[in-house]
Amino acid sequence: MSEQKHTANRRSFLKLAGTLAATAAVGGCELETRIPGNAATTASDRIPGSERLTGFDPGLLSAVGAAVLPDELGEQGRQAAITSFVAWADGYDPVAEEMHGYGYSDIRYLPADPSPAWRAQLTALDLLARRSRQTPFGQLPVEARRELLTIALDGVRGDRLPAPLTAPHIALALLSHWASTGDAWDLALGVKVQTGNCRVLGDANAKPLPITGLRA
Amino acid sequence: MKTIDADIVIIGSGITAALMAARLAETTKRSITVIEAGKPTTPLADRTKARARFLAYGESPWKQDHLDDQNAYGSTWGFSPSMTVGGLAMHWGGVSPRYSPEDFRLKSLYGVGDDWPFTYDDLDPFYQEAEERMGVAGEQGPVALDPRGKPYPLPPLPVNYNLKQLQQFAAAAGIAAWSTPSAKNSIPRDGRAQCQRCDTCYPVCPTGAKYSPDFTWNALEQASKITLVTQTLVRRLVSDPKTGAIIQATGNRTDADGEAVTINAKTFVLAAGFTWSPHLLLLSRDTAHPQGLANRSGLVGKYLAGHRNVNAYLTLPMELYPGINAQHSLVSKQFMRVPRSGRYLRHDLRLWESSVGREPRLRDDTGAPLFGNAMLSDWRTRAKGATARVRAYYDVIPDKESTLTLDSKRTNRFGDPMPTLAFRDDPVSAALKPWQEEQIATLFRTMAKAGKGQLLKMENSVNDLGQEHPTGGCRMGDDPTTSVVDRWGRAHDHENLWIAGAPTQPSASCCNGTLTFAANGLRTASAIAKG
Repeated sequence: MSEQKHTANRRSFLKLAGTLAATAAVGGCELETRIPGNAATTASDRIPGSERLTGFDPGLLSAVGAAVLPDELGEQGRQAAITSFVAWADGYDPVAEEMHGYGYSDIRYLPADPSPAWRAQLTALDLLARRSRQTPFGQLPVEARRELLTIALDGVRGDRLPAPLTAPHIALALLSHWASTGDAWDLALGVKVQTGNCRVLGDANAKPLPITGLRA
Repeated sequence: MKTIDADIVIIGSGITAALMAARLAETTKRSITVIEAGKPTTPLADRTKARARFLAYGESPWKQDHLDDQNAYGSTWGFSPSMTVGGLAMHWGGVSPRYSPEDFRLKSLYGVGDDWPFTYDDLDPFYQEAEERMGVAGEQGPVALDPRGKPYPLPPLPVNYNLKQLQQFAAAAGIAAWSTPSAKNSIPRDGRAQCQRCDTCYPVCPTGAKYSPDFTWNALEQASKITLVTQTLVRRLVSDPKTGAIIQATGNRTDADGEAVTINAKTFVLAAGFTWSPHLLLLSRDTAHPQGLANRSGLVGKYLAGHRNVNAYLTLPMELYPGINAQHSLVSKQFMRVPRSGRYLRHDLRLWESSVGREPRLRDDTGAPLFGNAMLSDWRTRAKGATARVRAYYDVIPDKESTLTLDSKRTNRFGDPMPTLAFRDDPVSAALKPWQEEQIATLFRTMAKAGKGQLLKMENSVNDLGQEHPTGGCRMGDDPTTSVVDRWGRAHDHENLWIAGAPTQPSASCCNGTLTFAANGLRTASAIAKG
């Protein structure tokens, strides 16, 4: 077998293995919630048999959101950020081809589905809260939740937020997913730029307008 | 066995091939068939969704755009495995500067490298034609720095709020900078939309405002001006042993059946880029041409050229708002048009807005995690001010032994050896490199100081490879002993074989190369049309 054929077969194997592993990792789990059809985008080329379990425990995820997302979002804005995150996670297509532009002479693939680990982390937060505080995570005061999240994120690099897909913890994934939006950037900048959105070309000349009073 | 007959066969369907086909369709009555090894990729109608998934997950927006077993190896930074209708210009950024007149006379002016067999003025009308066919939006720079025969076909993309501040900063540092010419619709044109600052020009424009070759292919096919044959890999060119003329191209379908294909034509145009053009010539060796076709000089696959860059981020005492149009930039040619001095250095200069250093973070300076309001408050503090990105591509003179060779240990499904690339600087260029990079670094420090700012960080080309916007492998020249094709792109050894675009270039300048590749291709097409 030529090395080329070997490489092609290896790629096919990796693609299949990645999806199977992701499926196996969650097999047998009974999720408390599923959000079918809620994905903002859907993969067009799913491999038959690679269907994924989706969704997160909504109560626990909301409790995490209240601890990591800014109050300025308000309850409605925070819930919107959580809903958007869940849709994003559900819409992920494990081991899809990465963009291979300049600087990439080979084809690379995205990682396995991070959601099973994130679901387990939610469960672990609740277990930790019950054991250490004798209270469900969702019923702890926000500051106490942050103390547990601080433990959970011990050792995680702090000079930036990771790309959501590579976030090592669901709290960080949620925070990072929100922070990557144009609305979040506008909130930080205090002006309406709407980065990441397609916008009228002529408006680029003007200084962006302040967003004082608006909620992201 | 499938047989295809045509007057003119173009091998490859990238940007050079597309513009050449458009010109030939207008200037000859000969039948034109284009052979592409890959398939069509994501159509315009699907690019909004493809962009969304790219932004959300980093997915490739370009579906089925490569052949797993048709790949290059070695030092391949400037190589892309894209093998699809439109080639890698399906994911280019659309940046379309011209080279400067000096690029065509390096030996005469500076005593380095080689002169091209024609001048900038000779190429000017073909630059103009390429700009008009693609739809390049550009701002006339100072005439002394930015000479051109006619105005740009489209008004420039706006020097937006951020770039306006950076333009003033550059001026204070003594640098004239203007809106970077780009193959993006600044106004609606050719049935395509105006740019909407989606900021994903690279890798995918969802609106069609950025030119990509599929637009030309679609138009030519709809008008029945050409025949586009996809999923067909040309594996050999066959020459008449007596006359040297190319009589056939042979290959196979790249679908599951792999059917053999024979292509008969009067004129063969090799427009398969800097990797696959010399690769096919080397693969096509026969008894009469044991070194490969068009290779009397022994220079097929030699003199691969490119450039390097130095890239820096400057913090400046002004307010910029990252994201207004992050992929658009200012450009200066001030350092490309330099007089001869003691040591050789030419480089371009680009300036962008940047979000580097202004992003949110997880921990404060003490290492404590930032959640909720504390995180937002910290981000707001960090987001104030401005970061500018500055980058200079600098000229690298290629060595003769900067080569593409066949590697018999790596083969495709048909057993053909794949190419291995090994870029190498000319000794003069290699000796200059540390000094050149220090000169550019000094310029960036000087700019930061002039703007009362600071150098945040600086980095050189990834892996230190001098192969960005690569060219070469079939260099042009008037002497058949020192070049592969003549000044029009016709192979010295085969009167009906033409090689087009990037592979024919003796050098790669110090700016993005696609426009020049296409202009060279159009110049070749003009000669083909004359017969």
